[in-house]
Amino acid sequence: MSVQDLTNAIVAGINAGGEQFLEGTLAAVLPMLWLAIIGLHLGRPYILTMIDRFTLRLGADLLWLVYVALRDLLIVSGVVMSFMFFFPDVVVTDALPVTGGLAAAALFGVLLVKLMGDPDHELFAFRLTSVLLFIGALCYFVPYLLGVMGSFPFSPALVTNTNPGLAVGLAYVSVALLAIMGAIAAWYTLRTGGRPEEEEAVTESWQR
Amino acid sequence: MKPDDIATAITQALVQGGAQWLVSTIVAFLPVLWTMTLILHLGRPYVLRTLRRCGLRLGADIWWMSYLILRDALLVATFALSWVFFLPKIVSSAALPITGSLSALCLLIALAIKLSRRVDDDKNAYRLSTAALVLGATLYYGPQVFAVEAASQPYLAGFAQAFTSNTNPGIALILMWIALLGVIVVVGWMFVRTWMAASRSMGGRMSTPAAPPTSKEPVAGAGQ
Repeated sequence: MSVQDLTNAIVAGINAGGEQFLEGTLAAVLPMLWLAIIGLHLGRPYILTMIDRFTLRLGADLLWLVYVALRDLLIVSGVVMSFMFFFPDVVVTDALPVTGGLAAAALFGVLLVKLMGDPDHELFAFRLTSVLLFIGALCYFVPYLLGVMGSFPFSPALVTNTNPGLAVGLAYVSVALLAIMGAIAAWYTLRTGGRPEEEEAVTESWQR
Repeated sequence: MKPDDIATAITQALVQGGAQWLVSTIVAFLPVLWTMTLILHLGRPYVLRTLRRCGLRLGADIWWMSYLILRDALLVATFALSWVFFLPKIVSSAALPITGSLSALCLLIALAIKLSRRVDDDKNAYRLSTAALVLGATLYYGPQVFAVEAASQPYLAGFAQAFTSNTNPGIALILMWIALLGVIVVVGWMFVRTWMAASRSMGGRMSTPAAPPTSKEPVAGAGQ
């Protein structure tokens, strides 16, 4: 073996190991992120009760804004960090939950409902986001606990690198779902010109 | 192999591997930035809807300002990191989406629209910047998902070969130079526009003599 062969072997090791470490870290952080998302979504009544107790309007406004920003930025982060589920090479190489891509698509669906509806004031939109979050959590946690972290006879079927055929198929389905929802979001914002459906003069004047 | 050879190999590997790792980290991070950029740009109606519910001006100001900073800073950061698509050596040696440079150009066009028109007030300007961003994202995601990250899929081999920069370096470099030309044109236009605007506003101010103080204006130290 020459010096150059050894160099190439180490470079390949650094790159492959670094990539797998990054993906493994993302996969390890995602369950926590999912728990935080579910927790913040379900904690809405608690926040509303606290807001009612404020004597100063400023405190109530700030609490609500911090809550909304944290809750929705976590959902955005969840979608962004789940992007690896859409890459066939990653899915075939790493041990990930087999329906992780569908979970990401459900999370993106939540964002779409929030864009087009008003889950904080419309019951139907709130229920829709709750159902999508529930489906997404199921798609993520069931294969994660019973497949990736479990050692049952059926565990290999729930892990991407031991069931690559299904994993790649589901990755394509998830990409298609994401593309359709992305196109709907783009169409909506193009149609409204980036404004909420019901225009209010107050908002317009505030912006100016 | 002697210990010195192993030391040399490790040193070379750290230097070469480090450079490759940096490039691949940027490339791996770009989908994250693109997705965040798109979501924040398309999420404007939702942000406005939340803003409308603020009872106080302060809360609404903080909310809107945070949104604007995050959205526009991400746009700039995504373009800055996309600079990797304009480096000929990296384009021909690393596995990058072949249309990555064109997607960066679309990003710059969206930025130029934001700089030249009031995107948050003018619906058509917002639509234009949205179209540029969506086109850029499509040019980035398509080859990234189905070519660069699908090398293991035999039925996508043809697509992967055609749309990955290091397996089709001729086309990749042509697209890169075209996109670079576009970047130069857009940046040149932005530079001239900023120059003219500054000359107009500052030149006008310098040529106008200072107005004498009126009786309504506060006098320094009057209240002390």
